[in-house]
Amino acid sequence: MTKHMTGTRKQWLAARRELLEAEKELTRRGDELAQRRQELPWVRIDKEYRFETDEGSASLADLFRGRSQLLVYHFMFGPDYTAGCPSCSAIADGFNGSVVHLANHDVTLAAVSRAPIAKLRAFKRRMGWSFPWASSLGSDFNYDFQAAYTEEQQRSGVADYNFRPQGFGPSLEAGKEGPVGELAAMVGTDSATYTREAPGMSAFALEDGVVYHTYSAYARGLDGLWGMYQWLDRAPKGRNETGIWWRRHDEYDKG
Amino acid sequence: MTHDGASVLTNHPVVSHEEWLAARTAFLAREKEFTRLRDQVSEERRRLPWEAVTKAYVFEGPSGKRTLAELFEGRSQLVVYHAMFDPRTASPSTSWTKDAACHACSFWADNFNGIIVHLNHRDVTLVVVSRAPHAALAAYQKRMGWTFTWVSSGDTDFNRDYQVSFTAEEVAKKRAYYNYTMQDPSLSEREGVSVFYKDPAGRVFHTYSAYARGIDLLNATYNYLDLAPKGRDEGGRGLDWVRRHDEYDR
Repeated sequence: MTKHMTGTRKQWLAARRELLEAEKELTRRGDELAQRRQELPWVRIDKEYRFETDEGSASLADLFRGRSQLLVYHFMFGPDYTAGCPSCSAIADGFNGSVVHLANHDVTLAAVSRAPIAKLRAFKRRMGWSFPWASSLGSDFNYDFQAAYTEEQQRSGVADYNFRPQGFGPSLEAGKEGPVGELAAMVGTDSATYTREAPGMSAFALEDGVVYHTYSAYARGLDGLWGMYQWLDRAPKGRNETGIWWRRHDEYDKG
Repeated sequence: MTHDGASVLTNHPVVSHEEWLAARTAFLAREKEFTRLRDQVSEERRRLPWEAVTKAYVFEGPSGKRTLAELFEGRSQLVVYHAMFDPRTASPSTSWTKDAACHACSFWADNFNGIIVHLNHRDVTLVVVSRAPHAALAAYQKRMGWTFTWVSSGDTDFNRDYQVSFTAEEVAKKRAYYNYTMQDPSLSEREGVSVFYKDPAGRVFHTYSAYARGIDLLNATYNYLDLAPKGRDEGGRGLDWVRRHDEYDR
């Protein structure tokens, strides 16, 4: 027997219609927020970033692949990782199917990581993905967009993430116990190496050959991009999580 | 305007990184407020009462007849994506054809096909239900390369009870109950999501359904477009730009 409140069709409908008003309000607020986001000012990018792609060496402008908008998913895959971060992999399982539609709507969605291109290519093949994935190894790109940190920054104990100073201390001291240690083990590194990469997304516009940085988001700002959460939010049990439950899609049966 | 209806970016304000950061940080506070509001609505959604499902619905699937309870595949939560596809009513004015489901529903499917494996590990089974016969679903699914479970509700009451199918008369009179209100349904099939729970005693409850823009956020591509410089950029013509993923180059 369920302990959840049950009702007749009429009672259910009355409650559902009330929630619909709250949902519509949320939709309107989301639309308004998206409109304001588009109005944010841009920053011209003059730095010459270099990337390695499946097609060879590329500039940031090349990553647009002829379109005027570029969305970069900062995929946590450091040079010393043995595989891509499981959380980013779950996000990629979703956007892998979005890429073709975005590409036909003037948006190139690409992942960028610091691991060398050969490592990215091998992992992409293993996971069966087809989105463009560039290596920023040796470039400042990830550091400039708060998606990577130097050992020196780590030693100082604090660095900017999500537009404010964040401490490195607790996550590093957590060792193998907590979620950071678990995720670090899943990418085959220690916590310090694992946290030298950080998740995020950055948006760019290309106009008359000039690249502009328009937007970046981090932490829960990526919630909407992680497709499974939007579905779990509609399920009776909600997100239903206490720790790291997700795995790379081919690793669930490995326990 | 370009060929895909996309607008052109010009004369956008350009500032220094410091000024950008000030504007972005101020905006972050509004985004956080929205995230909290979304969490709150999700919480309210879970508090909705449930209604018992008493009708015995039977679907045609890849392994024959399946009841609604069987669609849970051993899990306690079932999410049904109602995909618009009925070959009998296909015409130039429907978004589906005799052998292909609605292009917009196909766009949604491209977005959820890859994440079902993760939902499965949070006690959620996601299946797709359409009125088209199972053979038509299987053929189209193979063409699109999807792996989710897709079952046919055929002529059962399921689609009508969950308000995603309408009679020819309702369509002609432009009056039907959809998205919790009387309105012109436009087509005989419409999009939606319905959620069910099965308790340990095996009883099934309907917990939630959403339609129209209520399923916007379930399409990850829109969450990405909302962060792009041009936004959704649909020029007031909605999904006009969307094609089935193998039809963009035609």
